[in-house]
Amino acid sequence: MIGHDFPHQQSAHCETGAAASLLRQAGLNLSEAMVFGIGGGLFFGYVPFVKLNGFPLMTYRCRPGGIFSRLTKSLQCEVKQQKYRNKEQSMIELDQMLEQGLVVGLQTSVFWLPYIPPALRFHFNAHNLIVVSKQDQRYLISDPVMPELVWCDKEDLVNARFAQGALAPKGRCYTLHSPKVTDLRQPVLKGIRTVCRDMLAPIPIGGVRGLRFMARSMRGWQKKYGKRRSLSCLAQLIRMQEEIGTGGAGFRFIYAAFLQEAATLFDEPQLEQLAQRLTIIGDQWREFALQATRCCKGRAEVTFDGLAQMIETNADIEEQFFRELRQLERQLGRKLKKSVQEVSS
Amino acid sequence: MDQDPIYQELQNVITEACHIFEDIPDTIDPDSALIGPDSPLGLDSLDAVEVVVAIQKHYDVRIGGQQSGREALESLRTLANYIKSNPS
Repeated sequence: MIGHDFPHQQSAHCETGAAASLLRQAGLNLSEAMVFGIGGGLFFGYVPFVKLNGFPLMTYRCRPGGIFSRLTKSLQCEVKQQKYRNKEQSMIELDQMLEQGLVVGLQTSVFWLPYIPPALRFHFNAHNLIVVSKQDQRYLISDPVMPELVWCDKEDLVNARFAQGALAPKGRCYTLHSPKVTDLRQPVLKGIRTVCRDMLAPIPIGGVRGLRFMARSMRGWQKKYGKRRSLSCLAQLIRMQEEIGTGGAGFRFIYAAFLQEAATLFDEPQLEQLAQRLTIIGDQWREFALQATRCCKGRAEVTFDGLAQMIETNADIEEQFFRELRQLERQLGRKLKKSVQEVSS
Repeated sequence: MDQDPIYQELQNVITEACHIFEDIPDTIDPDSALIGPDSPLGLDSLDAVEVVVAIQKHYDVRIGGQQSGREALESLRTLANYIKSNPS
């Protein structure tokens, strides 16, 4: 059984952090940004007819589990996962896997994890963590959002694994085995292709169109929700963008770090330039968050209309950005195909 | 109490950025929580945005990307360490 020597690393985001840790154990050392990029994690969605804590659903990333499934598929990594109805059975099988020397990923509810400070616990059922070992009735856990390894009692872990509600984990556990793909160039291009497709998708609620849709809706929030609720709605947007494990600016900084690594991998200065541009775009998102925060705190320098205008400006800039990125990805794909053909002939 | 002048400087930058006018200690413990219910400066999660932008403007250090903002914003000490280890 693996123990305290497990190389725990704190991450900005739980899904990418857990995936990076499991991959490292399986023999492939990837940064969190690379995991996020290959997993095609960057997205924007505004779904006002679905409510989260009473507010329209806004997301700066793909669906929970999406990064993990794309990543493992791209790297041709064998994944064994299991859901359970029986709590006791789920814990017996977890113990058996740990005894075999495996580290096990679990989907859990943040609310039931006792080591998370009470002020930060909320009902989110798609939190990923890794169980490293067991001692008596306690489990040693590598939780990507924690600075170090933590202990969790069996009873609490059972509650976290079988929480009810949206995205209920149903005891889901998963293990990873060594990836068959070790040349990252093709998976990187595939990840870029996915993000460009999603950000430029011809649907009104997703990508840059989703951003414009949210900006239009935002102009009517005060009328629709009243002053107090519209400010809460704005605060929710800031939290989704700057806090919920995004690494800041709605994952733009993490994605820029991924493009930077991709530039080195392909030795492609244009990717490097795009990474720098995305960092600047990230700064503009942060400026939006700053102005929105001041609005919430009663120190507004701009109105809701002004904030909506900032989102629309960012949407225009990002549309151009992702078009150029898609074009470059196609060029790199053709080059890669040609070089692979040359090597094989 | 730790006397590194950066703590006082950081406290001044933060109080100015977050418009804190209430009575706060002249010098806070560099290990006390920066954000959240235990923060002696009374900062909440929305103030964190003001703090990261103020740090970027003042020290030309960006908190974000792969480096976890959560870790950097834990206390004045972690913030000072982050700034020192990420010079502009």
